[in-house]
Amino acid sequence: MSDTELEALFTAGRARRAEPSAALLARVMGDAMAEAEARGAPAPALVAAPRRRGGLAGLVAVLGGWPAMGGLVTAGMVGVWIGYAAPGGLDAVTAAMLGGGYDVSDMVPSLDAYLTEG
Amino acid sequence: MPFDAENEGSDEDLLVAYGQGSAHAARVLTLRLTPRVLGYAARLLRDAAEAEDVAQEAMLRLWRIAPEWRAGEAKVTTWLYRVVTNLCTDRLRRRRGAGLDEVPEPVDEAPGAEARLIAADRAEALDTALAALPERQRQAVILRHLEGLSNPEIAGIMEIGTEAVESLTARGKRALSAALAGRRSELGFEDV
Repeated sequence: MSDTELEALFTAGRARRAEPSAALLARVMGDAMAEAEARGAPAPALVAAPRRRGGLAGLVAVLGGWPAMGGLVTAGMVGVWIGYAAPGGLDAVTAAMLGGGYDVSDMVPSLDAYLTEG
Repeated sequence: MPFDAENEGSDEDLLVAYGQGSAHAARVLTLRLTPRVLGYAARLLRDAAEAEDVAQEAMLRLWRIAPEWRAGEAKVTTWLYRVVTNLCTDRLRRRRGAGLDEVPEPVDEAPGAEARLIAADRAEALDTALAALPERQRQAVILRHLEGLSNPEIAGIMEIGTEAVESLTARGKRALSAALAGRRSELGFEDV
């Protein structure tokens, strides 16, 4: 088999790539938050870092910081995926966690197609 | 408008920011790095469920090392690829030890255009031939030709010199060519 033919196989191989599921992304994000909480992530950094979301600081504080957000966003993501719509009370929290200017589908691009096709 | 994880600063800066408590940085890193980690693990393991486990474990290790990460010391992707390589190597060795090296073949795509079938056949044939390569050759070929990394990057991941990387990929490609030579016609290559 020539180098050109082998390269054609590599091209086909590159095109076939595993994509992360919404559930995996939610688990990875949940781990990030749990680890931050476990080492006592300082609240001021949480407030200062995401410049685009004005209301997040108070929301995080009210809800109890990293662990609460981790649980809520995970629950919200799974709710969206399994139930096709998040529980009403979680919508605002999830949206805030994911950034003021963003939508849940930004976190999970595959949801875009899923929701529009439905 | 879809969120673009690629335009939010370097991986290294984001990891330091996460280490200082930025949830935004964690989110960007999750979206940017999980697909790469999962894709590489899936190629090495050929098992979707195991690849997900490895991807989550590698990302967890990244979150844990974040507070000690110093910008400029290393590339996050090099570190992550190395972690995934080691995690997958451990799993593959356990699998062989348990006599479970044979994993289910991926389910074929739904029938479609002929070109799509050929592409699927080629990807599958390559996957099967890669699985038969010696471990280090296989890692080097996947990193170079499927993950698209440079030889110096691969040298950093595999903790060997660039010449050794070149040798591994060259031997791996020769072995692939030999293994697939008998399937040229089946894979849509015409005799010249």
